[in-house]
Amino acid sequence: MEGWGWQSVHDPDVLPDVMEGWTGAIASGAPFEMVFPLRGADGVFRPFLTRVVPVRDLEGNLRRWVGNNIDISEQVGIEIELRQSQKKLEEANRTLAEREAFLSSVLGSSTDCIKVLDLDGRLTFMSEGGQKVMEVTDFGTISGSPWPDFWQGQGNIEARAAIEAAKSGSSHSFVGRAETMAGNPRWWDVAVSPIRGSDGKPDGILSVSRDITASRENEEARDQLARIVENSADFIGMARLDGTVFFLNDAACRLVGFDRAAIATVTIADFFPPEEAEIVRDEVLPAVARDNFWSGERLFRHFGTDELIPVIYTVFPVTDHDGKRIGYATVTRDIRNRKRAEAQQQFLNDELSHRLKNVLAVVQSVASQTLRQADDLSSANIALAARLAALGQATDVLTAKAWTSADLRELVDRAFAPYGGVGERIRVAGPSLMLLPQVTLAFALALHELTTNAVKYGALSAPGGHVDLTWSITKGSNGEKPRFHLLWQEVGGPAVQAPIRRGFGSMMIERSLRSYFRGEAQLEFPTSGLVFTLDASLADAGSMVE
Amino acid sequence: MDQSISLNGRSILIVEDEAIVRFNLADFFEQAGYHVTEAESADEAIVILNRDSSISVVLTDVHMPGSIDGLKLAHYVRDRFPPTVLVVTSGESNPRQADLPTDSVFVPKPFDPQLVLDQIKRMAA
Repeated sequence: MEGWGWQSVHDPDVLPDVMEGWTGAIASGAPFEMVFPLRGADGVFRPFLTRVVPVRDLEGNLRRWVGNNIDISEQVGIEIELRQSQKKLEEANRTLAEREAFLSSVLGSSTDCIKVLDLDGRLTFMSEGGQKVMEVTDFGTISGSPWPDFWQGQGNIEARAAIEAAKSGSSHSFVGRAETMAGNPRWWDVAVSPIRGSDGKPDGILSVSRDITASRENEEARDQLARIVENSADFIGMARLDGTVFFLNDAACRLVGFDRAAIATVTIADFFPPEEAEIVRDEVLPAVARDNFWSGERLFRHFGTDELIPVIYTVFPVTDHDGKRIGYATVTRDIRNRKRAEAQQQFLNDELSHRLKNVLAVVQSVASQTLRQADDLSSANIALAARLAALGQATDVLTAKAWTSADLRELVDRAFAPYGGVGERIRVAGPSLMLLPQVTLAFALALHELTTNAVKYGALSAPGGHVDLTWSITKGSNGEKPRFHLLWQEVGGPAVQAPIRRGFGSMMIERSLRSYFRGEAQLEFPTSGLVFTLDASLADAGSMVE
Repeated sequence: MDQSISLNGRSILIVEDEAIVRFNLADFFEQAGYHVTEAESADEAIVILNRDSSISVVLTDVHMPGSIDGLKLAHYVRDRFPPTVLVVTSGESNPRQADLPTDSVFVPKPFDPQLVLDQIKRMAA
């Protein structure tokens, strides 16, 4: 090592460092130690540890340098490998930590309540998001408690069954009700499955519960609406755009006598008679397409009887979730009762007009006859007023029975009311009888004429006289129809003289009653007192009161 | 039914089920110089018409009991006795002109007999 001839085996890149170290050692006389590559006989550089120490004499003077070079290429290789695997380990640890962070953030952000239970069903883990939805403030307080205990009613039974299923290696789902830790009731959709260990056997249980309270409430609201539709008294139905019907409620089936089983075979048009179906096709449905609504009166057809049913037909489009039209819906109201009432109203109105005109025609005739036969205007005035009053009373009695009949006794009572009524001087006897409306006005007028005559000239004009008014019904024998008899007999009055002139009174009494009752009407004038008899078929007079 | 002597040779048939009204019309037309025949139904009127060819005027109500109403009677009269003067009257809704026979007139009830008489005279002229 005296000289510098060794430089030739050094790596030229490293040589300046080696030279600097060696020069420094020579100058200071300190030992030299360094690792550097040297070229071996095979021409390959290998790492060598070179140590050179100074050798001094007894006086301490440097005598020489002694050194050796040790090939350390093998140790260096191991060290490098060691460093590399350490780096790999660090990388693996970092990846693992990242994955764990990812998984726990997934668990944390999930709104599902993710739990791990032991095989006895006790809580060992609950995800962060799960603690939030279950309103858990401190998992420590529930950790280890039996999970099924959180469920009420049927949910508790389901939860226990799910645990048993998971223990035996199968999954189980159910919907149940459980309160959160804050006591708020919630509906949950729960999936329970086993967690398998390395041996493939369950060594834990995974339970994932989703809060479905909102959708459950929607469902309940929908169910309620469905029940309203089902139970509505209105006809409710739905059809596709091509007119084929896919829904009818019970009221709909009832209204048109339709068997629900045949629903797949009918279209909108089948619910209408042909001409109405044309209007629906050409006017109603196009209006629904244009205006989203149509409502009006139409006629339905009864499937069994073909009866036409007047309805208020209201139609609107049915859309899917995207607002796309998929068909038509109708809420249709049966208005038969209203139509009947309207018809009845119209009928009554017409009837009223008819009766009014008829009564006016009668009044016109009575007035005309009264004036024609009166001796003077003053007596005509008095007679006409009394006759119109009699007509008014008869009208009252008729109106009480909706102009369908008139109580005979009621007519009699009213006619006698101005003369003290029925009693000692006016004796009345006869069964209850309802007169036909068409004979009533004439009968009331005749009764009025008889009474007026009796008061003026007959039995009621003198003290002690009286009138017997009796009527009876005889049941016809040998298949004859029952007959109505009426007898007016004046007793105890002045001696009667037959009238010279037949005036309005006798015309009303005889001719008119003969015509109205289609029977015999007879006025007789024996001196003992006036007698009037009426004999007619009961069917032409009226009817017995049952 | 009352048969009275016609002063002017004209004869009227009054068909009316409301007797009080019928009697008054009969009185009125008798005083106007008509020979008056009364019927209380269309069925009775047909019997009379077939028996009595002298009737030149028929005044009929529409709604009457019987197998046919006054409107059918009017058509019958127009078909069977074409020259007859026809007056149809009713207290109910006015019939459409198309429902009436030709050369007939409808008079709503109650009516003024004098105006109807004038109408009949015009139609007969």
